[in-house]
Amino acid sequence: MNKYKNNPAIDGGLEKGNWKDEARCLSIMTGLLISATVTGYIFRAVDFPETNIVLVYLLAVLLTARMTHGYIFGILAGVIATGAFNYFFAEPYLALSVDASNYIVTFVIMTITALITSTLASHDKKKTLEAQKKEAETKALYTLTNRLTGAADLNDIADIAVSTISDTMSTQAEFFSFDENELTGKISLRQVPPKKQIQGNLTDTTEAGYSRDAELYDWPLYGRETKLGIIRIPKDRAETMNESQKRLLQTMIESIALAMDRYWSMKQRVRSNEETMRERYRGNMLRAISHDLRTPLSGIIGTAEVLMDMTQKDDVRYNLAEGIHKEAKWLHSLVENILNLTRLQDGRLTLSKQTEAVEEVVGSAVSHIQRSCPEREITVSVPDEFLLVPMDAKLIEQVLINLLENAVKHTLPEQEISVSVTADKANNYIVFTVADRGEGIDPVDLPNIFQMFYTSGLKHADSQYGIGLGLSICDAIIKAHGGSIEAQNRTEGQGAVFIFKLPMEGNESELL
Amino acid sequence: MSYYNEYVLVVEDDMQIRNFICYALNSEGFRYITAGTGQGALSLLVSEPIDLMLLDLGLPDVDGMEVIRKVREWSEMPIIVVSARDQDKEKAAALDQGADDYLTKPFSATELLARIRVALRHYYKQGGSRTQAIIQVGGLRIDFNKRLVYLDNQELHVTPMEYNLLSLFFKNIGRVLTTKYILKEIWGVDYGSDTQVLRALMAGLRRKIEKNPAKPRYIVTEVGVGYRLVDE
Repeated sequence: MNKYKNNPAIDGGLEKGNWKDEARCLSIMTGLLISATVTGYIFRAVDFPETNIVLVYLLAVLLTARMTHGYIFGILAGVIATGAFNYFFAEPYLALSVDASNYIVTFVIMTITALITSTLASHDKKKTLEAQKKEAETKALYTLTNRLTGAADLNDIADIAVSTISDTMSTQAEFFSFDENELTGKISLRQVPPKKQIQGNLTDTTEAGYSRDAELYDWPLYGRETKLGIIRIPKDRAETMNESQKRLLQTMIESIALAMDRYWSMKQRVRSNEETMRERYRGNMLRAISHDLRTPLSGIIGTAEVLMDMTQKDDVRYNLAEGIHKEAKWLHSLVENILNLTRLQDGRLTLSKQTEAVEEVVGSAVSHIQRSCPEREITVSVPDEFLLVPMDAKLIEQVLINLLENAVKHTLPEQEISVSVTADKANNYIVFTVADRGEGIDPVDLPNIFQMFYTSGLKHADSQYGIGLGLSICDAIIKAHGGSIEAQNRTEGQGAVFIFKLPMEGNESELL
Repeated sequence: MSYYNEYVLVVEDDMQIRNFICYALNSEGFRYITAGTGQGALSLLVSEPIDLMLLDLGLPDVDGMEVIRKVREWSEMPIIVVSARDQDKEKAAALDQGADDYLTKPFSATELLARIRVALRHYYKQGGSRTQAIIQVGGLRIDFNKRLVYLDNQELHVTPMEYNLLSLFFKNIGRVLTTKYILKEIWGVDYGSDTQVLRALMAGLRRKIEKNPAKPRYIVTEVGVGYRLVDE
């Protein structure tokens, strides 16, 4: 019985008020024995044999043992019953005779009966108690799980956890929840009036499964991946807990952790759903931009060109139409650049890498530039050897076009622009170089030249062609290929050089 | 002043683009008719004597590819598709489906007219009794009867494969040939899509006919689509 002494909530006060209980047992015993004696007198009056009276007494002892607890009352009843029988019904009547040996037999049998019955009854009661306790535990757990299933958010879980634990353990309890291992919420609920404020630092959990502070015990709530929170119980209560209570608490904590895990994974799912939706919106928006901006721009560019064809070059209207044409073209390339960059930064632009002939990609980029600036001379040199390099040809062509356009923009028509490709066989890289003889790059700008929206120098701050997206795109594309890009000023003479490297086939190492 | 009088169908849903295309066509003497939808285009194609179709791939109602396939069921008329910049796959698919050429938006009127001229010339040549025995493009000349190639009046030694490749381009001057089409024509139907073997052959040929293979004068690369033998 000791085992449950510290569990009043579950034991239901069965051990409490011992005085009252003993008085009750005593009165039961007395009542039964008096009834037996009265019945005995009636039996004697109607001339029943003595044996029947003995049986009635035996019944009284049996009932006493059954209805009281402990062995004492049963044995006591046996002794008294023997005495009473001896006193009332055995000759000499109304006196105790000890010499009659047959009464000694009766006495012994009655005592043994009382003992056996009491033992059985006590055992039975103990079983019942255990079952009741188990049932209470199961019920508490069931209620907890049931309520946790219906919990809508973390606050609900906390309320349920704290109230269930404090109810079951009749103690104060506190609940802390972690978000990505950061302490975010502290929810406490006290079922017993707080004598003093629960305080203390969160400490690291020891291997015992809980950690102790000066006044507090912490039980961690472990999820699948991380620690989700802490259940905290005052030290004095925690230390008086017995094994089964600890087990119960542990089970409860596991249920709570499970519920929190469920909550977090649900939240994760909701978040990833939202993410997908956002992605979809974004994709739709990009498509809308690409269609709604490109189409009218194509119309403007074409129309302006037609207007230019209709007018003489010395006509002022030709210049106006040319202005429209130029601006629209610039706007169009800006739209393309923004679209490309958005796709690259999303990481959604999947490279469709294929082994491509270097000379073809370079040739295509150069002819693209020559189409829009036929007056510019671009020198191209590639190795005589036929080189195949894994790349997304369309994107590398874009890099070359951007670098060449940049060169065209920053050089005078008679200044040289060159593209060259060399194979760095030792390190298994292919090296592309785009060089010009223009004004070069301001040393101040060199470190930031590939950064987004970095415009070259203060002197050009108001230049409308200054949004430095082109080079950012180059940077993003080359990095996506596992290559590297850098900008320099030429050492011999003026001019800028852009060099980018791409890993050749079989080169798995990535440049950063 | 103009020597064209072909009837061109312009299928384009954007009015502004349609307007400038029509102006450009008109300035060269072409007659034209327009449609803003694929359905409209298909009904015009059966009722009008169209000579050439200019088709925007991004139509509001029907897939442009569908229009090409329907037209190709009964007509060999030149089809030039117009597409956005990031539609390489669609471009190649349209060419394989039977389109003759493509233009990427934004395109200039000059470019458009040049493509139309190439497509028409090719179409008429095909319709003619037989291809010419000798064709010259710039300094490059092919003699189909003798199976010989000349560069700047010097006989050029080419391998049989290179000759086949070159003759394929000479039969399709100015047209984009998709890698898929070339592979099929040179190596046969079941060869598959090993583009590397074509790239290697092309590199070899370019080293013979081009002064600078990375700055080709004759056969230019259309990245992501195919190759084209440049005429002028």
